[in-house]
Amino acid sequence: MNDEFYIGWEERAPSGIGSQVRRAVAFLLAFAVVLAVLLAVAQRTIGVSVFEWGKVKSFSGVLRSQPYPHLLVPRPGAVTGQTSFSSYYLVKPFKFGLDAGLARRLDGKSVNLKGTLIYRGNQTMIEVIGDSIQQQDNPSQLIASASTTAPVNLGEQTLIGEIVDSKCYLGVMNPGQLTPHRACAIRCISGGIPPVLLVRQTNGPALYFLLVSSDGRPVNKQVLNLVAEPVQITGEVERQGELLILRADPATYRRLAR
Amino acid sequence: MGLEYKAVRWNRQKRIYDFALVGGVGAFLVLFTVSTKVLFPFVTGEILLMRAFGAAAFILLHVVLCIGPLCRLNPKFLPLLYNRRHAGVTTGLLGLVHATLVVVTYHAGGDTNPILSVFKGSPLTGSIAGVPFQPFGFFALVILLLMAATSHDFWLANLSAPVWKSLHMLVYAAYALLVLHVAFGVLQAEVNPVYVLAVGGGLVVVLGLHIAAAFREVPTDRAPDSAAGDDGFVDACAVADILEKRARIICLSGERVAIFKYDGKVSAVSNVCQHQNGPLGEGKVLDGCITCPWHGYQYLPDTGASPPPFVEKVPTFNVRVRHGRVFVRPKPNPPGTRAEPAPVEAESRSSRLEEALTSASER
Repeated sequence: MNDEFYIGWEERAPSGIGSQVRRAVAFLLAFAVVLAVLLAVAQRTIGVSVFEWGKVKSFSGVLRSQPYPHLLVPRPGAVTGQTSFSSYYLVKPFKFGLDAGLARRLDGKSVNLKGTLIYRGNQTMIEVIGDSIQQQDNPSQLIASASTTAPVNLGEQTLIGEIVDSKCYLGVMNPGQLTPHRACAIRCISGGIPPVLLVRQTNGPALYFLLVSSDGRPVNKQVLNLVAEPVQITGEVERQGELLILRADPATYRRLAR
Repeated sequence: MGLEYKAVRWNRQKRIYDFALVGGVGAFLVLFTVSTKVLFPFVTGEILLMRAFGAAAFILLHVVLCIGPLCRLNPKFLPLLYNRRHAGVTTGLLGLVHATLVVVTYHAGGDTNPILSVFKGSPLTGSIAGVPFQPFGFFALVILLLMAATSHDFWLANLSAPVWKSLHMLVYAAYALLVLHVAFGVLQAEVNPVYVLAVGGGLVVVLGLHIAAAFREVPTDRAPDSAAGDDGFVDACAVADILEKRARIICLSGERVAIFKYDGKVSAVSNVCQHQNGPLGEGKVLDGCITCPWHGYQYLPDTGASPPPFVEKVPTFNVRVRHGRVFVRPKPNPPGTRAEPAPVEAESRSSRLEEALTSASER
């Protein structure tokens, strides 16, 4: 009868026990390899988004403070029928939106600033570096042109989607959506990052609606409890340049069961 | 066994164990991150590492939890148990890296204290998405780190084996918390069935092995059929039921007793090793000492005391052998008390003589 007995403080394990354990360890290692690849392949929430971390660029354009701070940057070689400005959301580093007071002071003015690009689909954001925003000295031509960009009302619509913090979802974190990201999204929106209703379409690209109150004011604090869950919102949609804006009273937002 | 505390006593087996452990964890981390980066090049680094370390910690915890019952079912897996605490500490460290990435990424840099944000950052809304899954992970990590910090024998000796063991049984609470953490966290986003099957399968394996091991031990915990005689001794088992140098475990007065047969004698000691409550009755008599199968702690069969200079002691039980059967007095002697071993050969000779005389007188 084989009466092998294992003692860990001895130099070697008995041969029978040793070979059994070697087989078990080989199985576990193979299992770890298979599981690593399987779990990686099975991920479904990682999209195509970019945060150009470490790349600082200079931008010039007209700063708008409403509904959330953004920069209108003239688009070179604009063709007929296309807006002549690109709209870039402006935010600060970490989990904060651009300072509202600063944005109000510079509202409608031509500025130069430095920052890092964040983009996903047709949405672009700039994480502005510190106090790099400088008012331009001779901006008249640019301001006159930008002021012609009037909002276009697209009527009342009912939309189903997920409220995300625009900064993370557009690229600072990927994936930056759904339950695992909920706490971060709440912190970001609470800190002034523009809240966006992400509407996923089965046939076509995702749509992004900046959320504002019925009278066009930021709704950051009112939407915190509805972040990262399916919601239904009915409101007036308007197009402001490249931005889609959804005006609705946050009290009317409806959480949908999942 | 230890007389003095040293950080780690390395030997060949321990080095092989740690090499396989680090190699396995490293292989998982590298393969997961590389595969994800190749398949999804836009994933951000901190999220990628967060997922890799979190998954590695959760999977390794399954392995840690399975080793115990696996060894109960087949002692050939005992080498996996010997340094299990290394796997446990590694689990805690992987979890710590995951948690640090979570706090820095999701909670720091905002308008709330990052640690406070873990608890109040995800308000209850009455929906599944509103279940605050991160506190589950936080408390699980606290348990795992507490276990990792007290894993050295220094703490085992100073906390006492029962307290230490109770503390380390909290690993099951940590596992339950982590299942909730994963179920209400990543499973709400990653809806591929692979994830549900992986978590569910892991739960089934862990529970299944524990239930199978428990069933196997039911006969051990069944008290002997016979009641104690006038002299207080209980008929425990037949001498022939015990293999040479091995033991039979029986349950007396709610306590497991290991009855060893060795060198023509029988001795009984508590089944519980003083080191980590290992099952002494599954050990073997080597060099005249009962040797615990878990970590090789040794005790003299007649006194229950470790041979000098070691100081561990377990309770002994008075035994005697009559007509090929072992009788044990259920009341334990204080740890380290000598109990006269019952000679098997002499008893057998006297039994045979007694039987021969009885037979002759009948003729």
